[in-house]
Amino acid sequence: MPPLLALDRLGKRYGAVRAVDGVSLSFAPGTIHAVVGENGAGKSTLLRMAAGVVTPDVGVVRIDGEALAPHTAAEAIRRGVGMVQQHFALVGVLSAIENVMLGAEAVTGLGRLDVPRARARADAVAREMGVSAPPWDEPVERLGVGDRQRLEIVRTLVREARVVILDEPTAVLTPGESVQLYAMLRRLADGGRAIIVVTHRLDEVRDHADQVSVLRQGKLVSTRALTRGEPGLLHDIARDVMGEEPPPALERRTSAPGEVRLAMKDVHLGRALHGVTLRVRAGEIVGIAGVEGNGQRELVRVLAGLAAPDRGEVHCEAAAVVHEDRHREGLVLAASVRENLVLGELARFTRHGLIDAAALEREARGRLHRGRIVPADLDGTAASLSGGNQQKLVIARAVGRCERVAVFVFAQPTRGVDLGAARAIHAEIARAADAGKAVLLVSADLPELRALSDRLLVLARGRIVAELPPDAPDAQIGEAMLGGDAAEANEGAAGATA
Amino acid sequence: MSPRGRAATGAAVAGVAAGWLAFAILVWIYGDSPREVAGQLLAGTWGTAYGVGQVLYKATPLLLTGVAVNLALRAGLFNIGAEGQLAVAGLAVGAAGAALPLATPAWIALPAVIAAAPVAGAVWACVPALLRARFGAHEVISTIMMNRIADAAVGLALACGLAIPGTVRTPDVVRGARLPRLEALGLPSLHGSAVSLALPLALVVAALVGGWLARSRIGRETTLVGLSPTACAAERIPVARRIGVALVLSGAIAGLASLAPVLGSKGYYESGMGAGAGFGGIAVALLGRGSLTGLVLAALLFGTLEQGGLVINARVPMEVMSLLQAVIIVAVALADGRIRGALQRGAWA
Repeated sequence: MPPLLALDRLGKRYGAVRAVDGVSLSFAPGTIHAVVGENGAGKSTLLRMAAGVVTPDVGVVRIDGEALAPHTAAEAIRRGVGMVQQHFALVGVLSAIENVMLGAEAVTGLGRLDVPRARARADAVAREMGVSAPPWDEPVERLGVGDRQRLEIVRTLVREARVVILDEPTAVLTPGESVQLYAMLRRLADGGRAIIVVTHRLDEVRDHADQVSVLRQGKLVSTRALTRGEPGLLHDIARDVMGEEPPPALERRTSAPGEVRLAMKDVHLGRALHGVTLRVRAGEIVGIAGVEGNGQRELVRVLAGLAAPDRGEVHCEAAAVVHEDRHREGLVLAASVRENLVLGELARFTRHGLIDAAALEREARGRLHRGRIVPADLDGTAASLSGGNQQKLVIARAVGRCERVAVFVFAQPTRGVDLGAARAIHAEIARAADAGKAVLLVSADLPELRALSDRLLVLARGRIVAELPPDAPDAQIGEAMLGGDAAEANEGAAGATA
Repeated sequence: MSPRGRAATGAAVAGVAAGWLAFAILVWIYGDSPREVAGQLLAGTWGTAYGVGQVLYKATPLLLTGVAVNLALRAGLFNIGAEGQLAVAGLAVGAAGAALPLATPAWIALPAVIAAAPVAGAVWACVPALLRARFGAHEVISTIMMNRIADAAVGLALACGLAIPGTVRTPDVVRGARLPRLEALGLPSLHGSAVSLALPLALVVAALVGGWLARSRIGRETTLVGLSPTACAAERIPVARRIGVALVLSGAIAGLASLAPVLGSKGYYESGMGAGAGFGGIAVALLGRGSLTGLVLAALLFGTLEQGGLVINARVPMEVMSLLQAVIIVAVALADGRIRGALQRGAWA
């Protein structure tokens, strides 16, 4: 029997770049197949070709052994291949159910929209997915990211997709939501569908995928079947992804932490922070774990001096802060890489009110090289860099201030960054602590927190609800993270039944 | 030239071309020959020394208001208030020049009277600057209001004793406070035209502002704030202060634009003197696209059109020239992301 979906020597060029170069892959029903690779390795292009969205220059996409012709998304959907894009294609002002119907509207005999029928169908799909139905009548713009993603998947399944392709589905999700998503994908696979997930999170691959294919520079490097618990597996995949031996695991110099450099005492801010108390000493890395939206953003804003707490005390010595949103707080996108590398530090390079261009150039060049920013062009705009290199820029600027600060705050330092860059950033964070700085690391990435932190603080509902060692079991951390949420949910449920 | 520079130049050239096309069509509809009228326009402006002098005279305040509006734009602000800042400054210069003792020597009188212009312009811009920096009030609204207030305030001040009774003009400024005309400074061929020392002064100011934006710490930070106030705030650049200072400086420079008519040409201030140059400066800044050369060329273009309107007035109505200018402004503004950006940022701030 021919495979459900087969890619036969697909190739695609963009200008001089071979985005995808002769890749052949097949996907079987009942499996979750992960496609991994660094940014720009060609993952998205490959699967967009598989879903008919992008037309290949060479090669054929076969569904049930038959070539996809014409090569359009509509035809692919008709033949049972659906894709959930990284940036959801939903209409914000329309309700959830209207979005599900969009483009495949069920109508009654008189041409009226048959909303009840569509809803019954969507409800059935949600039941099969094992999720509670999204609020169908709510406008999509009021839904959270998790709901929107479920909606996109419902929309794909309503069109009877047998192959579901998801592009970086967990990039926008919290760890808890990610686990739920994979549980749901597993149910869909068990129902006889082929699930394809593009990701660059290797821990997800290890925990959830049946097959993994690695792409590098447009070429297929390897395809493996995964057996749970196989030792060295992650290392092998990482090597394939990077094309070189991954650097050894981080080594932290262990030394007794010093003076308290950063302290918050009973800090309240609006509806976000409700009495946060924490201390970070010189030379230690304190990780803040928690589901996003529990006050992380506000915590960082208070430490950066961008928000004044309503109540409580903040003691923070000279700090360099890496904000979570590099496009908003991190970079002046339209300005040059040079100016971004020394943003806010012009006073240091000024003599008699005029900028000492040579001194500024020296400092910027030093940071550019240390941060391994590619392309190494100080005159290009920050906007022209890839996401990973933008993040490297922001980190390079922060660690470049090492001599003048006592505290570092890193918020989501490796979000949306590929493996190589993430490792380099982790090394910088470890180096900062080894240099005797107090480091606060706020991250939604639990493995990252575990690898770097000396202590973990769990932030839930604007409070620090637990302090744990970094090697505490997942379940214990997860429970603490959800602590506030679960209590609230129970209260809500009790209220509803009463 | 950078890609952005090329795109900017392209937009400017296209805008000017669209303007001339509209001009040609209008003249043709009016029943005259576009070619002949354009020929006459050029002959009357760049064809004679006097014409050139007059173009330069008209271009002088436009260059300064253009530099003023451009400075604000770089900080992400849209200063519509140059018109009012110029009017208030004109009155201040006229009144100060008339108040000095008759025998004041030029080396005292000129600096004192010239200084009155930026001070008055800056004071007038202080109000929107404070409103913006402290309360986030949109500067487009507040500078427009300040224009109306300037109209009324200048009229009131003239009526309350600054004007010669029965007129709407100040007494003549003292001799020492007049800016010498270029014809008296070794360019006799410009005889009769009102171009004065205000022109080189304007060029120097334009160059200084350009240098300040590019080389000084505050100037660079102002530009960065204009590009992304959030990122600058996150790196502890005092955003509100930079914005406030930029708007006040913009007002000071717009105030300087009053020097050419008041001290260089008439020797007194009269109600309405210099009117239009404030709004013209917006056009110059849009067309000039932030570069010094661009601003000078744009000021010359609009100076030519203004003088040209007078030249061809016998054949076609002057409104045709206004229309030409309007088409250029609209076309260029449409292509200008900075304007859209400044308006949107303000609207959501």
